[in-house]
Amino acid sequence: MSKILEGIGISHSFGGLRAVDNADIHVEQGEIVGLIGPNGAGKTTLFNIVSGALQPTEGKIFFKDEDITGMKPHLICHKGMARTFQTTKLFTNLSAFDNVKLALMFGNPERKITRKDAEKEINQLFAVMGMLSDRNKPVKDMSLAMQKRLEIVRALATNPQLLLLDEVMSGLTPKELTQCMQLISQLRNRGITIFMIEHVMQAIMGVCDRIIVLHYGSKIAEGTPAEIVKDPTVNAVYLGK
Amino acid sequence: MLISTIFEKRKFAMTMIVLSIIILAVVPLFTPPYAIIYLITILMYVILTLSWTMFSGPTNYISLATAALFGVGVYASAVLNDVLPLFVVVIISGLLSFLLALSIGLLTLRLKGVYFILFTFGVTALIRNSIQWWETHITHTVGRHLVSPGNNAVYGYLVVIYALTLIFIFLLKNSSFGMALQGIGENEDAAEHMGIDVTRIKVIVFAISGIFMGMAGAVMATRWRYIDPNTAFNPLLSFLPVLMAIFGGTWLLGGPILGAVIFTVLQQYLITEYPYFYMLLMGLILVLVILFMPGGLLTLVLKLYIQLIILWAKTKWNWQVLTTRWKEQWRPQVAMRFAQWRLRWQWRLGRRR
Repeated sequence: MSKILEGIGISHSFGGLRAVDNADIHVEQGEIVGLIGPNGAGKTTLFNIVSGALQPTEGKIFFKDEDITGMKPHLICHKGMARTFQTTKLFTNLSAFDNVKLALMFGNPERKITRKDAEKEINQLFAVMGMLSDRNKPVKDMSLAMQKRLEIVRALATNPQLLLLDEVMSGLTPKELTQCMQLISQLRNRGITIFMIEHVMQAIMGVCDRIIVLHYGSKIAEGTPAEIVKDPTVNAVYLGK
Repeated sequence: MLISTIFEKRKFAMTMIVLSIIILAVVPLFTPPYAIIYLITILMYVILTLSWTMFSGPTNYISLATAALFGVGVYASAVLNDVLPLFVVVIISGLLSFLLALSIGLLTLRLKGVYFILFTFGVTALIRNSIQWWETHITHTVGRHLVSPGNNAVYGYLVVIYALTLIFIFLLKNSSFGMALQGIGENEDAAEHMGIDVTRIKVIVFAISGIFMGMAGAVMATRWRYIDPNTAFNPLLSFLPVLMAIFGGTWLLGGPILGAVIFTVLQQYLITEYPYFYMLLMGLILVLVILFMPGGLLTLVLKLYIQLIILWAKTKWNWQVLTTRWKEQWRPQVAMRFAQWRLRWQWRLGRRR
């Protein structure tokens, strides 16, 4: 296995606050990696740095062995990294179909996609996520669970190798949760590497191969779910016992 | 959704565009000369509002650089007026405004939010005052005179620019670029993260919107015959297109046109009829429109249109109900009554015999 994503000594400060402090992370090809930590630990900041929305104050990020530090988000997206947002950021006045269409048209710049092919591909993506019948709904009429799923569809339309999921499972009902977990394993079977932030422990323990724990911006533990559950510092800081 | 699906159909938009251009081209044949002057003013505002909406409508970046882009066209036209034919001057003015808009875009469109508004307003003031300073201190002549090709020629040029603007907006709306612009307006972060080069698209569309403003400026300069920095870079020209677009509705092609036309007509009427209360009445109307029609005048038109459709459907349905009732209930009854009546009469007649 090769490293698809590697961050060496990433730091980021908002003024005097060090949101991410010298964190080393790596994600192997084909893995599902979870990122957990208490509120304000710098998880989303780390995601923003990796996806290019923020620039790290220090440190370097490599994606597929290529330095992407300080690169613009759309270029990083073209290289094969897609993300979802903690608070859904959809184009609320467009239909679900148009949301995905935009991602398909602009996420794959090297491909020329005709109208017909685009429609076929988008329908396929909706079918994978089980929301084919909702594709013409305006986004503002959708429930939160559907909006989160639509964000995943939109991210998938850019044809990513690495998918960053920022709390896709929070606020879901138990039934939706199991569906979402199945979905994530399905995505892995399609060859997509997944790096996810999550607070729902049931989900993260069930689905992840490896977990990274952040606290006050620095990495305090890393390992398989079984190791993390036993780790004394993680228990003290986050899980509680 | 229903409203937009009716009106954003391409064929409808295309026929309306072609129709409006044909009407504008034919109108001067049947109108007195004063009407042409009136139409020139209206067309100028329509072009400015349309080209403002082209960029600011979908992206929600309020640009106050309209006066600067327009004024650059005006001044280029004034300088080149006796050197080159008007046709060439118009093209050069368009290019100059394009370059100005391009540099404004490159400087500020990396920023988000309110900075863009302030910067564009600042640029307008800066250019106006620089030219004024140049004229008072270096050339010692404030203002310039131009040779006009006549009102009909000016009108013709404006109709052509209007047509170009509309065609460009139509193509933009139906391209992936237009969709990306809308995405940027809805959520710029998300647009960026799904592979849209937001800065490039914003700068390009903003720069192109400058072309039409500059061309309109070049033509209007010849209409006014005398210009100085205060008429060319009049700050009102920055604010009026914004007001007109909001007045008419920014979300469809027809909105800005409707807004600009009605706003200008209203303005001219109020200026001539109530010169002392003009601004007061204008302000009152604007407040009322924004309070009660947040989507602009066009929403009112669309609502009326929908009501008409509903009314039409209702009458059609009622008619169907009436005809079926007639066939199934009333006609048999009537037929039966008629038969009874005939029998009775036959019986009576028979008895009489």
